[in-house]
Amino acid sequence: MAMQPAVLAETTEPIEPEAGRLWLRALRAPLTLTGVIITLVFVVLAVIGPWIAPYDPSAVSDAATAAPSFDHWLGTTQNGQDILSQVLYGAQASMLVGLGSAVITTVLSVLVGITAGYLGGTSDELLSLLANVFLVLPGLPLTIILAAYIPHSGSLGIILVISLTGWAWGARVLRAQTLSLRKRDFVEAARATGERTSKIILRDILPNQLAVIAAAFLGTVTAAILTQASLAFLGLTDVTQWSWGTILYWAQADSALLTGSWWWFVPAGLAIALIGTALSLVNFGIDEFINPRLRQAGIATLKAQRAQVSRRRTKRVRLSGDRQPRPAGAPFTADSTDVVLDVRGLKVNYGATTAVDDVSFTLRRGEVLGIAGESGSGKSTLAYAITRLHKPPADIPQGEIRYTNADRSTVDVLAMDDEQLRAFRWEELSIVFQSAMHALNPIMRVGEQIEDALVAHRPGMAAPERAARVVELLGIVGIPADRAGSYPHELSGGMRQRAMIAVGLALDPEIIVMDEPTTALDVVIQRQIIDKIMELKDRLGFSVIFITHDLSLLIEMSDTIAVMYGGKIVEMAAAQDFHERPQHPYSRGLLESFPTLSGPKKELSGIPGSPPDLRRLPSGCSFRPRCPAAFDACAEHEPRLYQIGASSAACLLYSDDHVVKMGESA
Amino acid sequence: MRTVLRKLGFYLLTAWVAISLNFLIPRVMPGDPAEHLINQFHGKLGPAAIQALRVLFGQPDASLWTQYLNYWHSILTGDFGISYAYYPTDVGTVLGQSMFWTLGLITACTILGFVIGTGLGILAGWKRGTWLDSLIPVTTFLSSIPYFWFAIIIVLVFSITLNWFPLSGGYSVDTTIGFSGDFIASALYYAVLPAATIVITSVGGWLISMRNMMVTTLSEDYVRLAEAKGLSRRRVMYKYAARNAMLPSLSGFAMSLGFVIGGSIVTEVVFNYPGLGTTLFKAAQAADYPLMSAIFLLITIMVLVANLLADVVYVFLDPRTREG
Ligand code: SF4
Repeated sequence: MAMQPAVLAETTEPIEPEAGRLWLRALRAPLTLTGVIITLVFVVLAVIGPWIAPYDPSAVSDAATAAPSFDHWLGTTQNGQDILSQVLYGAQASMLVGLGSAVITTVLSVLVGITAGYLGGTSDELLSLLANVFLVLPGLPLTIILAAYIPHSGSLGIILVISLTGWAWGARVLRAQTLSLRKRDFVEAARATGERTSKIILRDILPNQLAVIAAAFLGTVTAAILTQASLAFLGLTDVTQWSWGTILYWAQADSALLTGSWWWFVPAGLAIALIGTALSLVNFGIDEFINPRLRQAGIATLKAQRAQVSRRRTKRVRLSGDRQPRPAGAPFTADSTDVVLDVRGLKVNYGATTAVDDVSFTLRRGEVLGIAGESGSGKSTLAYAITRLHKPPADIPQGEIRYTNADRSTVDVLAMDDEQLRAFRWEELSIVFQSAMHALNPIMRVGEQIEDALVAHRPGMAAPERAARVVELLGIVGIPADRAGSYPHELSGGMRQRAMIAVGLALDPEIIVMDEPTTALDVVIQRQIIDKIMELKDRLGFSVIFITHDLSLLIEMSDTIAVMYGGKIVEMAAAQDFHERPQHPYSRGLLESFPTLSGPKKELSGIPGSPPDLRRLPSGCSFRPRCPAAFDACAEHEPRLYQIGASSAACLLYSDDHVVKMGESA
Repeated sequence: MRTVLRKLGFYLLTAWVAISLNFLIPRVMPGDPAEHLINQFHGKLGPAAIQALRVLFGQPDASLWTQYLNYWHSILTGDFGISYAYYPTDVGTVLGQSMFWTLGLITACTILGFVIGTGLGILAGWKRGTWLDSLIPVTTFLSSIPYFWFAIIIVLVFSITLNWFPLSGGYSVDTTIGFSGDFIASALYYAVLPAATIVITSVGGWLISMRNMMVTTLSEDYVRLAEAKGLSRRRVMYKYAARNAMLPSLSGFAMSLGFVIGGSIVTEVVFNYPGLGTTLFKAAQAADYPLMSAIFLLITIMVLVANLLADVVYVFLDPRTREG
């Protein structure tokens, strides 16, 4: 699976229960449960069928071609045989073939798939080639021929034939899975310590494949029951042995259709369809277990999407299509009061977990606001919330995001309806994503991806004008114009990130939110991109909200810095002040061994302990478990932001009470 | 281009495997299929025809390698022997008559089923979490129904009870095969029920796989970015989400063609449709090995060609496969 953006990792991780509980939850999904129950019923029927069947399925009677009645619940055949009994007996043969084939097929798939994936090299190539060949060969005709050479073969023959033609699919999937698992740390580690191959496979690889193997197994049961039914229906199995397919064979052979005896073929077919449906439903459950995105789809209802923001009635300020030109951006100064974005008391929840809690800040025209934090601190969630790109189950129950229009009127971003939001986003505020690799559509030319923002927002713009603008934008970020026709995979990493920035600049927005725009790049390219951003900011006069875990970078380029911890801003200060006089113990820890500005990069990892679990924040100050300065009150009181000179920090050391107490004791 | 060439090589290899399997199967099966087959004809065959059958199904007096070379010679010269079920027609002629029915019906229906299923899947994925999700169990049920059983039911309802459509066959017996309006109209009329069967039972599978791919794709960053850019919903849905989601679905399509075609040919039997499926059925009933193995080869070739076409379409849709 593709790497998920950090914000997703943040959305899923905090609310993910352990794997074991997840199985239970998958079972609780009504469809999966229905599937499991139906399957179990069929298995039980297959076992006890012959005992509960009211008649001998082959016994002829006088009641020929009788419709369902009290004596014969499902009617009788032309020879007066009881169809219910046939179906019950048939369940045994059909389920036996289904399960038997699935067992053998799965064993074959697992052997081939895991061996190929684990060994790699030539054996892998040969085995996968073999699997692919068998996958493409039309299975049923091959099965039919094999079955025809062993005329009137019983269940065992059919099982062998089905397994022989059916192992390839599972083998292919398992091979791919094993390949990716093999590269994981824990397997590498086991290999490095010289463990036996078989042991690694059994202990480390197989358990991780169980879900996939289960899915392949159930899929094969369905396919095998269907194939057996087809073969039996065509008369290629032993037609005296009762199975669902054989019932249909006799129904067809004795022209049940022409005599209108629907009861003859309806039950057997329904049984096949039902067990097939049931197994597929179970497989959906497994799919959702394997692929968490599918699981989230259930919550992502349109209604939930609309309800993302608790609505408030506010004066609707209609965003006009033609923007008023802004006054040319003056260089930012620390005492500027020209606020463009004012965030007040913003809160973001993922279900019951609060990922961003009571965050407030202002962004002034031309300012670079740097937001720093470890992963899981809520910084990316904050970025998405500001742009209202958060997806359910994320929800903003509280807060205000006020944007100042060119005419100095303000509008609450959270109160906008879809249409207003669509007009606002990108026109006034755009976002540059973390990974250009994932944020650019892989099958669309880069130029077109810039252009479609213009198409959407500037309906009056003619095509040549748009083309010219695309070239201009590429020029601005330093991409040669002829690259407009390239696809993302044809560009280098740095080039892709520049293209992302060009997309962000397309409509000349007032604010650009940048979520770790350079993390994926090497240092030299990173430097070039940062310089480019700073140059463009000065030239075009936009404001930047820059989010990263790279503190040295942030101190260098930001005007103001906000540090996030456990979903809250714990310190906010001018970059210079922050660097020289960090107030919060967390910031101090971060800057402790911090060298000069030009020195080597320092990432936020220098503090003992691990980032807090948002589901179980400690009482009082969430930094307390890692804080060297913690004292009694820290466990009881949640610190708010206290003003210390021009900076502010959320630490009880600066609370008046504490100052008073310290004064008393002094 | 290189991708397509590599695929071509792979399909040639697969064809070789299929042909060799076809050579091996009668030779490893218990008994002597060739002898059995020749005896079936009760001495109606001339020495040349007997020799041809021996080349195809086993010459006890020759080494395996010589047999293999002789076998290839027969295959390359298109000599598949004489059909037992359709005696005295030779296999090539029987196939020539039935092939086009299958090609027409199954190609059209498989593609139609894929297109409809994928289209609905796009919609269901886009509107995930709405009432459309309740389609899933319904379509799962539809796609779990055996093709041939659905065919039986549809015949019961529309031919026997309602009498709207003919019971079986590929065209009305009072038209002659040819390019006449009458014949084509009749062929289309006779094709309605078989076509409906294949399309309806295959739609569900495509729908579900496309829906799931769509849901997965919708949480990609590039879709989120497209929404952020303020693009119209249509554009986000088609150009960004659906086009990307379709790629795996398309390779899945190519991979499952063998399976789908297998299912479809059993459907033919119910309708007594004059295509390869019905012919294969008759051949299997009569233990007509020459006809069976030739049909297997023919179907394999058809599947391989279809796969190759799907690959070409894939290369056309995904620029990442185009380079080098
Ligand atoms: S409030 Fe207490 S625990 Fe929290 S940072 Fe300040 S001193 Fe440390």
